[in-house]
Amino acid sequence: MTTPSSSDLRERPARPRLSGVGLGLRWEFLEEVLDGPECPVAFFEVSPENYLGRGGYYPSALERIRERYPILTHGLTLSIGGIREPDRAYLNALHTELTRLEPPWHSDHLCFSSAGAHVLHELLPLQFSDENVRRVAARARRLESELGRPFALENITYYVHPGQPELTELEFLQRIFEQSPARLLLDVNNVFVNSKNHGTDPRAFIAGLPLERVVEIHVAGHRVQADGLLLDTHGERIADPVLELLSWTLERTGPVPILLERDNDVPALGELLAEVAVLEGIAQRALARHAEHHASSH
Amino acid sequence: MQAAIESALADLVFGPEIAQGDAAGIASWLARNGVQEADARALSRDFPRLQLYRRLARGNLQKALEDTLPRTLFRLGPLFESYFDEFLRVMPPVSHCLRDLTPSFLSFALPRFRGDERVPAYLVDLARHEALQVEVASLLGQQKSHVAAELSLDEGVLFIDAARLVDYEWAVHRLPEDESSNVVPERLAVSLLVYRSPEHEVRYLELGPFAAGLLAALLTCGVSLRTALSQGALRAGRPLDDELLTRAARLLSELATRGALLGKSPPASPEPPIPCPRSTILP
Repeated sequence: MTTPSSSDLRERPARPRLSGVGLGLRWEFLEEVLDGPECPVAFFEVSPENYLGRGGYYPSALERIRERYPILTHGLTLSIGGIREPDRAYLNALHTELTRLEPPWHSDHLCFSSAGAHVLHELLPLQFSDENVRRVAARARRLESELGRPFALENITYYVHPGQPELTELEFLQRIFEQSPARLLLDVNNVFVNSKNHGTDPRAFIAGLPLERVVEIHVAGHRVQADGLLLDTHGERIADPVLELLSWTLERTGPVPILLERDNDVPALGELLAEVAVLEGIAQRALARHAEHHASSH
Repeated sequence: MQAAIESALADLVFGPEIAQGDAAGIASWLARNGVQEADARALSRDFPRLQLYRRLARGNLQKALEDTLPRTLFRLGPLFESYFDEFLRVMPPVSHCLRDLTPSFLSFALPRFRGDERVPAYLVDLARHEALQVEVASLLGQQKSHVAAELSLDEGVLFIDAARLVDYEWAVHRLPEDESSNVVPERLAVSLLVYRSPEHEVRYLELGPFAAGLLAALLTCGVSLRTALSQGALRAGRPLDDELLTRAARLLSELATRGALLGKSPPASPEPPIPCPRSTILP
């Protein structure tokens, strides 16, 4: 048996072993997951806010699901970019929940979702500014130790930039990841939606991100409004161009867990699992190409 | 400046609606939130699209209330909108958990319902009843140091945490579950024990005056069984005779079978003056 050196301990792998396609666990199909046959998913992902300080059926069901499937956690209300420091009571409750669920990392959104003591329950975009880069990066540095596990930031959709930007969205993200050890939860649908709404190139955007930091990819459906604006609804099937962008991205990141998010108009579990299977096929083909590139470049 | 932008967007979400073409309203909104000139110009230009965030955030909050208070909101009809507007303006959410929005909304709305002749009088009880179901379903249960043994007259009785006693003036618990029903409940004073079964189902037990008095004393005041029996008899307006004692034994045994009563515990506090307050959740 070899004893890990101190440098081994410091350099814990940023990328965990978990891979494959998972599904956001929703209450609409919770009982089917509990009582049905094994689901062909690599993991389930939950939002801890739905379980914090809660007793009864749902935490008990989650405990049973955790015995059969890996669980990832994805928060909704950290408000990492808000002026006010993240709520201490919330962080303590979150820490307790993460200790119980033992996810390999915890993620939340690069946004603000509180204003002072008030919680908005929506992901609002941050101004792309150096002031916000510094605030987010400082908090991301602290969160790893406060939560006791790696912390990942997700790129969000924004329908309008709030005020006069100092930076582009890509520069904003790049600087945050330069100044913090945060991992990246790359939402490919969000990149696509932003590219259409703001006229940017989604591939150039992704290529500019620190892809070695990607610990997880999210994909979801969006809706096109009558005025042409794309809305990140999580309420439809994933659009073909997003699937193509996912494939292109996986060729560059290599194997990372992929999550299918469906929060609205949630269909039957069977329909979601069929979409998971499509994603699995896309991932396998993309990862085979990734392996080929890797082999030929060595 | 993130501070000003944050303040402005929160105001946009929770504050009074500003019409798209209302240039003076937009200017006033930007000024009261201290938005600097360059940002103000951009926010004014993008105002129509910014309003999407008002719609999204308020939609999430409204859905949370619709999920927990479906029958109340249906019966409230268009009045809900004005209550919801005022609630968000006066008491924006402070909890990270959406399920906390329901008790927060009711703490705002119920006193106002009582003074609003447009709101049916029974709606206060129906709203409390719907909220109680959500509360009991999700109450956290703590480990108890109870003794699973025969009860003693001189000791208290320990119940599960997920149990509440409630008094209504209207028999709202007998209303159909159909969310679009307009059936009016019977005006009838009722007491209910609401508890969560070991299978996580929320159960209701309608109580007569003796049982209500007995359980209020035990569950809410933590007095000894002997004192609680006296309080039950007092509430029933009867002497504590063999018949009441038999009924008490049957009730407590039934609650133990249903998993709501755990065993005996020492009285948690000195004996309170008689009568012990009748327990309710929410105002």
